[in-house]
Amino acid sequence: MSAKQKTQETTSYKPYSWQAILEFRAMWVVLALGLVLPFVISKPLATEIMVYALFALAFNLLLGHTGIISFGHAGYLGAGAYAGAMVVYYGGVGVWVSLLAAMAGGTLVAVLIGLLAVKRKGAYFAMISLAIAQMLYFLALSPFKRWTDGEDSLKLPPLSVDFPFHIDLSDQLSLYYFVFVIVALAVLAQWRILSSPFGHALKGIRENEDRIRACGFDITRIKFLSIIYSGLFSGLAGGLLAIYLGAASITILFWMTSGIVVMQTVLGGTHTFMGPFIGTAVFLYLRNNISNYTDRWEMWVGAMFMALILLFPEGIWGTIVQKIGERRRPSAS
Amino acid sequence: MELSWEIILMQVIMGLALGAIYVLLASGLSIIFGLLDVLNFAHGTFYMLGAYAMFTAISLCGNFWVGLVAAVVIVSLIGGLFEITLLKRLYGTDQIYPLLLCFGLGIFIPDIIKMAFGLIGKVVDYPAMLQGATFVGNLILPKYRIFLVVLMALVLLALYVFMKKTSIGMIIRAATRDRLMVNCLGINVSRVWTVGFMLGIGLAALAGAVAAPMVQTIPNMGDEMTVEAFVVVVIGGLGSLGGAALGGLILGQVVSFVSLLAPDWSNVSIFLTMALILVLRPRGLFGEEGRD
Repeated sequence: MSAKQKTQETTSYKPYSWQAILEFRAMWVVLALGLVLPFVISKPLATEIMVYALFALAFNLLLGHTGIISFGHAGYLGAGAYAGAMVVYYGGVGVWVSLLAAMAGGTLVAVLIGLLAVKRKGAYFAMISLAIAQMLYFLALSPFKRWTDGEDSLKLPPLSVDFPFHIDLSDQLSLYYFVFVIVALAVLAQWRILSSPFGHALKGIRENEDRIRACGFDITRIKFLSIIYSGLFSGLAGGLLAIYLGAASITILFWMTSGIVVMQTVLGGTHTFMGPFIGTAVFLYLRNNISNYTDRWEMWVGAMFMALILLFPEGIWGTIVQKIGERRRPSAS
Repeated sequence: MELSWEIILMQVIMGLALGAIYVLLASGLSIIFGLLDVLNFAHGTFYMLGAYAMFTAISLCGNFWVGLVAAVVIVSLIGGLFEITLLKRLYGTDQIYPLLLCFGLGIFIPDIIKMAFGLIGKVVDYPAMLQGATFVGNLILPKYRIFLVVLMALVLLALYVFMKKTSIGMIIRAATRDRLMVNCLGINVSRVWTVGFMLGIGLAALAGAVAAPMVQTIPNMGDEMTVEAFVVVVIGGLGSLGGAALGGLILGQVVSFVSLLAPDWSNVSIFLTMALILVLRPRGLFGEEGRD
């Protein structure tokens, strides 16, 4: 199959290249904008954008940076949400422990999918990850109904944080800033991971797997780690989502969640670092507004997504980065 | 529960009928992937379109068989149109883009159907000659299920003959192996792809059309089927028709028996079967070495 596949000319970024610097600045600009976001749009929407942006960035670790097509991310997010909610619901533990449990939940599912599918490429990985996530959905729906409450979501009591200082999470603004700080830290952690030698090996695998193997890298191990990182951050996003929603609901596990994160990521630009973040913000803002006017938002989203794939496959931020690159090229060469 | 051999045989037949639908659906998916290298995320959507085309055709002309043919032809043409106008532009790009285009189509079309037909399910009647059941001794054989199994066998036979004995089938097989070489031999590969895509979509539509009387025809009936078709081809081995057939039949039996013994687990069992096969034989039952 690899012979059949032609990699599109991608805007890959190198360490300390103009692109890495641009992305680095964009990251700080976006995070700075995040500080004032709840005063520009509604607080719940702002919180939702932060949570899903973290999820999209985690997803893009696989799609954009390693070149693995995953359609099973609903499984990571849902496992995170349920693990986080269940330890609170049954164990009565605090928010921090709940987030740790969420990360553990996401990682566990990543290990499962990784073990089954890490050696499969392209479409195969997409199908297997999708199937495993769907299995979790059906498990939570009926056989494990006793613990997950099936179609009725698992509802959480009002939460508050006591360490390091008191934060009342039932207040919308406090909740936003709580989520924002965690998401910002996770974004920085992902930036750190991707700037490491490991992060560059990931990009090497995306561009030319055989060559990286020939260089002596253990492809399977690197890919597996990348899946784990993706599951870890997705699980964290799931834990935050459960806190934001005040519940772990079964729709999080449904495969449309995986589809939506793909759309958000591609909308922003898969071959960039901040693209998924920007794509998520635009996607959720549009969805919020379109659904005020029509019940048929799926039709509009589907049509716009097809147009995006055909006309701007690099996405919003990806296209901007590309244009800047084209403008630089004459002087650079 | 007492498990008499009648009940067991009955479940086998139910499983065969369900398996027949999986086989039709998955063989279409497999042909499209093998030939075009496109993972058709809208496969379940075309299955749903098949059911709705069937409903529309029957309500217009009143005949089940005319409806069946019309459904397959109409939906294949829609598929062909999609391939020629949109999908074709993305060949030669990264594998993810055609996949995502199909995914977008799979979100777009069900909403159109919701607008055109409403959210409430449509009923497609069994044809008069296939209603009810025949009795063999104590055994109740629902005629329609038997028909499905026979239809599947005939379609598989026809596909086999088409692929192995006709010149266009030979070209399709050759193009699956090496598209560049076939192009060099002066054959218009792009037209072969359109034919292959329409063939795959036609099989999905046929699956939807024959499933319509047994299941509820609703706009989202295809969502689950896309995933289940994926599971079948993962079990059978991607790109192998024999694999799709065997995988579909296995899955039909698994679902049929698990729904009888542990109904809660029937949906989960599909995926557990897949996971088990992946552990035992990672490339699928009939998967070729290296095609992963």
